Amino acid sequence: MKSISLYVDQGSWLNKMHPYTKLLYILTAIVIPLIGGEFVLFPIMIACSLFLLASGGILKRALPLVAFSFTLIVVIFLIQGLFNHSNETVLISIGVITFYKEGVLFAAKIGCNILNMLLSFGVFVLTTSPQELVDELEKSGFSPRFGYIINSVFQILPQMIATKDRITDAQRSRGMETEGNLFVRMKAFLPLISPVVMSSLINIRERAIALDVRGFGRKQKKTWLYDRPKYKWDPLIRIILVLLMSATIVWRVLLCR
Amino acid sequence: MGKIFKTKFTTATMVLIPVCIGINYLGKLFASLLKLPLWLDCIGTCIGACLGGPVIGGICGAANNLIFGLTTGDNITLIYALTSLGIGLAVGILARMGFMSSFLKSFVCAVGGGMAAVLISTPLNIMFWGGTTGNVWGDALFAATQASGMSVALGSFLDEIVVDVPDKILTIIIVYLILKGLPKKVSALYDENAQIERLD
Repeated sequence: MKSISLYVDQGSWLNKMHPYTKLLYILTAIVIPLIGGEFVLFPIMIACSLFLLASGGILKRALPLVAFSFTLIVVIFLIQGLFNHSNETVLISIGVITFYKEGVLFAAKIGCNILNMLLSFGVFVLTTSPQELVDELEKSGFSPRFGYIINSVFQILPQMIATKDRITDAQRSRGMETEGNLFVRMKAFLPLISPVVMSSLINIRERAIALDVRGFGRKQKKTWLYDRPKYKWDPLIRIILVLLMSATIVWRVLLCR
Repeated sequence: MGKIFKTKFTTATMVLIPVCIGINYLGKLFASLLKLPLWLDCIGTCIGACLGGPVIGGICGAANNLIFGLTTGDNITLIYALTSLGIGLAVGILARMGFMSSFLKSFVCAVGGGMAAVLISTPLNIMFWGGTTGNVWGDALFAATQASGMSVALGSFLDEIVVDVPDKILTIIIVYLILKGLPKKVSALYDENAQIERLD
């Protein structure tokens, strides 16, 4: 069964890094351009994320993430470039369509913000296993019951997707149309989704009983089977990230005076 | 009011949450498979809200976006965790007030959930994307309102309304039909008025 997580263990330095350090990097990458307020900070942070992705050997796998947001960015460019309220200076005009400088600049800022977020998240998402994140969260006091919720999503989803494929095939073999005009497709939605939803809801009862039998509701402190090897650069990287963030805030405050 | 927010954190509700998150994912998957112009990605949140109450609904919604945002590539959903939380809470409260008891009443529930989504999403859309939502119909309308000189906030609000309210109405119809067909032995697990009778 295919996992929905994008994580692959390649043994790179990003894999070895503590999840919290990577989360702190995301925060830094998003906060610096927003607080700094200078447009040039966006490309700098994007380049930084690209460099990290390349150093972890995952640049190629990050491409689908970016492609995903591509249509959104194109739509923003079109709408803002054509209709933004502060549009005054003509940038280019093709026939009756005129792109304005102000709108395009605004769209560029939003586009860079999206790219920056996607790439910095890519550093985290592609190198951290959900299991590892949950374990670390639980070790720092996160409720194990909520930890279970996150872990079991990754167990349940592949099962549900397998059921979904089976039911889609079964309904098609009974002659149900899943292609055609909007109404036909709309009508197909309920017979497709309701059997999967029903069976998963009915399974809840058995799952709950099975968990209860294994002591899920016990209040004792849980122990861990795996001990995470420590990564020696973690503290240093965290200090640098925090320093960078505070430097940006200080710089902005001084600038505003 | 105390009864509306009453929540039982039993094993059964803990198991319900991941299942609801899975259902959300499937709804979205089927919607894109059938190329429907709606999202249909909160069916699970609404089921969770109707069965477990507003608190469980809110947890389902927020956990859904946080988990998918942090593990799959879909980071954009992360911001909308607030929206999902709002939908879960609104639908849960309305369901506990009795607006899921009949087919016609469930429309109140749908509009309530839809409006919660619109009110929370609109500021997020304006802040992050300058007003667009990423849905074809909604964004076409947004472009039209911007071309005719309406304010960004109003345009974005209309953009959300035409997408979110029909989306939630369809979602609640599906949820209503599913819950109607749910066996009693499952729905009894989440009955907030259930009492254990002791015979000793």
